[in-house]
Amino acid sequence: MMKILLACSAGMSTSLLVSKMEEEAKTRGISVDIWAVAQDKAPSEMEHADVLLIGPQMRFLKKKFEKRAEEVGIQLDVIDPIAYGRIDGKAVLDRALSLSGE
Amino acid sequence: MNRFMEVLENVLMPVADKLNNNRYLTALRNGFMVALPLIIFGSIFVVIANLPFLDRLLGEEGYATYQNALGPASAATLSIMGLFVIIGIGYKMVEQRGGEAIYGGVVAIASFLVLTPQVVEDVSGGIPTSVLGAQGMFLGIFTAFFAAEIYQYFVKRNWTIKMPSGVPSAVSRSFSALIPITMTLTIFLAVRIIFSYTSFETVQNFIYTIIQEPLTVLGSGLPATIIAVLLIQVFWFFGLHGQIIINSVFDPIWYALNDQNLAAFQAGAELPNIVTKQFIDTFIVGIGGSGMTLAVVIGIFVIGKSRQLKELGKLGGPAGIFNVNEPIIFGLPIIMNPLVIIPWLLAPVIVALVTYFSMATGIVPKPAGVIVPWTTPPFLSGILATGNNIMGGVLQLFNMLIVFIIWWPFLKIMDKQYYENENKAA
Repeated sequence: MMKILLACSAGMSTSLLVSKMEEEAKTRGISVDIWAVAQDKAPSEMEHADVLLIGPQMRFLKKKFEKRAEEVGIQLDVIDPIAYGRIDGKAVLDRALSLSGE
Repeated sequence: MNRFMEVLENVLMPVADKLNNNRYLTALRNGFMVALPLIIFGSIFVVIANLPFLDRLLGEEGYATYQNALGPASAATLSIMGLFVIIGIGYKMVEQRGGEAIYGGVVAIASFLVLTPQVVEDVSGGIPTSVLGAQGMFLGIFTAFFAAEIYQYFVKRNWTIKMPSGVPSAVSRSFSALIPITMTLTIFLAVRIIFSYTSFETVQNFIYTIIQEPLTVLGSGLPATIIAVLLIQVFWFFGLHGQIIINSVFDPIWYALNDQNLAAFQAGAELPNIVTKQFIDTFIVGIGGSGMTLAVVIGIFVIGKSRQLKELGKLGGPAGIFNVNEPIIFGLPIIMNPLVIIPWLLAPVIVALVTYFSMATGIVPKPAGVIVPWTTPPFLSGILATGNNIMGGVLQLFNMLIVFIIWWPFLKIMDKQYYENENKAA
């Protein structure tokens, strides 16, 4: 089971992505656990995740989260703005999978 | 143009990075988040206590009884929000450094109380609630910062009382906080004593006169507000979360202004401020999200011939009603799109001016000081923010119309471009 954490300012706009990514994972038959949180909760949630994806509007937080990600040993990236605008669950799921090396 | 954008992005990213990763501003923002559920609870009851037509329905006496019964809900939360903000900031400051966070919250509020005159109208033994509201907001924030820092400093110096290994860890933890807290509070007591010999008499007075009053006067003015609104838009244009960046600087001012209005509203007095937290959140940002993009969504449905825009309207519309507009910002796209920069920057400024003057002239009531959750759909949020006045909702609809008109020609050009490209591709 792959665990994907999404983070943005309040966890609202990333939660739009969650359902799209879940749909995509279901059609591919991959078992995933995807959830979205507000940025201030991200550091504590990171230990429960395999991958962290940050909303592009919060990309200035990447540096801060990188330190924490290293501590808990997970990969992270900023979501591509175009995929974000289209709420493209497929592209973002692909990115999450490639990040975790699966 | 591209080169210019690159240069600007290179300037803005570090600013966003600094503002957001600054430890004090992070603690400030997250400290306000701690207080938010309480603030909203209080706001709900202010709204219920001031429902329209109830005074006529219940009669004067019945209405007064009704309001008195509900009064404690907001008096215990919204009106003394400074209390929770101080605890929140102190907690978050210590948590950031991996310390025992609850002591950060406790030492912050205790330091603040040490500085607070415990006299109400010449009767001792009471803490005036006004210092826990708007009036004490700035002192509270500074006190929380300093108290947490001083506490951390002494924890780091390791001036703690070490317990033998057999002592339960909870017991030794309670002792480990003893010296740092004692030192911190002693310093604040000394500060209080020093100030009692100055012409300000209290630290409260000093911070209020020297910092809070000038800043809130500046922040309640139109020029500072327009600059804040423009900065939010510029940050978003580069795909950076404008509000979260600007709010971390302006929130203390906007909340303090808001609280002044609340006190006046509950006393039935003239509301002092136009620019408040809700002025920005409800009438400028809260119409579909930053840049008031709900009007843009409507424009897309009215104008859109291209498949790209139609799809976007379907994706972004439902979220837009609740003021979540990332699909529109990244999908239209608004970020780095030279075609939309004029309406993107112009519309919020015009709307800010219209909102300001419609409140200054009394056509629309000023914000009543309740905090409306930012995901409340427009029209409803406008009514709630103005203390259950329908004109607040009407103003939001009018603002949407303004945004719609400003965007119209630009949306039309964009739609035409997309439409032609799609036909060429087909």
